[in-house]
Amino acid sequence: MPVMEKLQFEQGHSLWQDARRRLLNNRAAMVAAFFLLLMGMACFLLPLLPCVADPNATNLSHIAAGCSWEHPFGTDQLGRDLFARVLYGGRISLLVGLVATFVALIIGLAYGLISGYLGGRTDALMMRTVDVLFALPFIVLVIVFSLCIEEPSRRLTAWLVETTGWSRAAVEPILGLVPLFIAIGALGWLTLARIVRTQTLEIKAKEYVLAARSLGLGHFRILFYHIAPNLLGTVVVYTTLAVPGIMLTESTLSFIGLGVRAPNSSWGTLIKEGADRMEASPELLFFPALCFCLTLLALNFLGDGLRDALDPRSAKD
Amino acid sequence: MIRLLLKRLAQGLVVVFVLQSITFFLVRLLPGNPFLGERKLPEHVMAQLNSLYGLDQSALVQYGNYWKNLLLHGDFGPSLVREGVQVADIIAQAFPVSLELGVLGMLVAVLLGIPAGMFAAYRRNRWPDAFFMLMAMAGICIPSFVIAPLAGLSLGMHVPGLSVAGWDDPLCAVLPALTLGLVNAAYIARLTRGGMVEVLSADFIRTARAKGVRPMRLLFVHALRSGLLPAVSYLGPAFAALITGSFVVETCFQVPGMGLHFVNATTDRDYFLIQGLVFCYGVLIVLANLVVDLVLVALNPQLRSQGAA
Repeated sequence: MPVMEKLQFEQGHSLWQDARRRLLNNRAAMVAAFFLLLMGMACFLLPLLPCVADPNATNLSHIAAGCSWEHPFGTDQLGRDLFARVLYGGRISLLVGLVATFVALIIGLAYGLISGYLGGRTDALMMRTVDVLFALPFIVLVIVFSLCIEEPSRRLTAWLVETTGWSRAAVEPILGLVPLFIAIGALGWLTLARIVRTQTLEIKAKEYVLAARSLGLGHFRILFYHIAPNLLGTVVVYTTLAVPGIMLTESTLSFIGLGVRAPNSSWGTLIKEGADRMEASPELLFFPALCFCLTLLALNFLGDGLRDALDPRSAKD
Repeated sequence: MIRLLLKRLAQGLVVVFVLQSITFFLVRLLPGNPFLGERKLPEHVMAQLNSLYGLDQSALVQYGNYWKNLLLHGDFGPSLVREGVQVADIIAQAFPVSLELGVLGMLVAVLLGIPAGMFAAYRRNRWPDAFFMLMAMAGICIPSFVIAPLAGLSLGMHVPGLSVAGWDDPLCAVLPALTLGLVNAAYIARLTRGGMVEVLSADFIRTARAKGVRPMRLLFVHALRSGLLPAVSYLGPAFAALITGSFVVETCFQVPGMGLHFVNATTDRDYFLIQGLVFCYGVLIVLANLVVDLVLVALNPQLRSQGAA
């Protein structure tokens, strides 16, 4: 039959293929992604090269020097190279942003999945709890909570140094951040939990879940093989959009002196140092603030782009 | 209506109670204590101080006493670090400052954000839209602790009469309120635009336009009411953000409000002061959310007929 031969069967598009095409066509999101990649590589890889100065090395003959080839961003009041300091600070800021988001992601995902899947009274109770937590002044709790887990984390450091024989200098900077990871993450999961729950409720009512249930699959299998994979798009979008908020929390804490402490420095502490001396040398404020704001901007654009690509219905217009 | 109000009030009580309880126990887990000063106190002096303030009792007894004093006598307890000063006095001094700053900041946010969002929605996909939304994105991404020093450097130093620190004359409020307002204006502008875009594409707007309603009347009378809903429901959390955001702004501009006291109290481990301030924050936030709920019901008749939402 000639008619049949003419018929061209069009290849179907999966959700992810569609999403990738839409994302690749979104210029703002692609520029943002490229910028983030660059910033990430600069912060994590560039300091490994010998040409980047030691961020804590003071040079008293180069105090508050302006920009030069040797010091691209100039030096601070102790003669420390600002370029290196911005890179190392970015490392801490990005690290706290990513790890705390990950903590929030795990809690929010589990909470939302369980609440949505169980439904009924458990769901109502769990969601009222979230409502109450939502009304709490977030940053107040983060401050108190992060101070509280400082002591246990110090003990953990001591224990690690003792049992594994790692040098204290190598372990301390990372473990010093643990209170921040936990405090911000443990309190930042609420939005995600709500979104995951709504989606779970929606997916739970789909026919394929009914089919899975009538095949006699267990709750665990239905939850993780049939519901969770279909949440992936939403979770990716809202996780990306959560990172800037969490980074902002970290830097706000660091700015008022309750977040990242010496010897570590994050963009928040650098901005604080810069703000204190901005009249004499404005570049101390300018460069860290610029890097921080551009990173937040890129994260927001990438998140918006991902949302438009993965979840076209909730797109802005 | 009444049911909604009662329900929200009950929820608010739970919020304040939970907040107060969490803070009470967390604060006592903090390393260090309020009496660690420059000079190390002898053992027996420390014990005396602890028993004077009742800190030698078990945490649960202290917890019970705290609620008893608060509810029966309205007593927040003494400040542990500033001798002879009551927490209630500190709050009575700092609260009006923070409230004034918060209200002014909110005013800036609403007066900037809503017109910008409306205009952007009205000229959707043209340059005013792009311009205002870019500004809003910048407002979201430039944190208040960058805006604050920049505002101080650019305006505070050059405009006569403005001051960059302190709280002794009315003009002192200008820069902090501006800084606080700008960040929230950005969110409000985005939400207003979103709400207005949705309303402007609704059928009843097309009908009104077909009947020849003039654009200004269409925008302000027909569309604004429901277009504002997303922005209004954000105002509750925004008020909370204003108050907590004031940590940074009050630190930057040395405004003697609750935020500055809170930051100092956490570093000093002034238990009673932390608890008193957190209590105030909780009550404020609950009240703000309540007011927002009432405004939402007034704006949206659908909520009124449902009774509860």
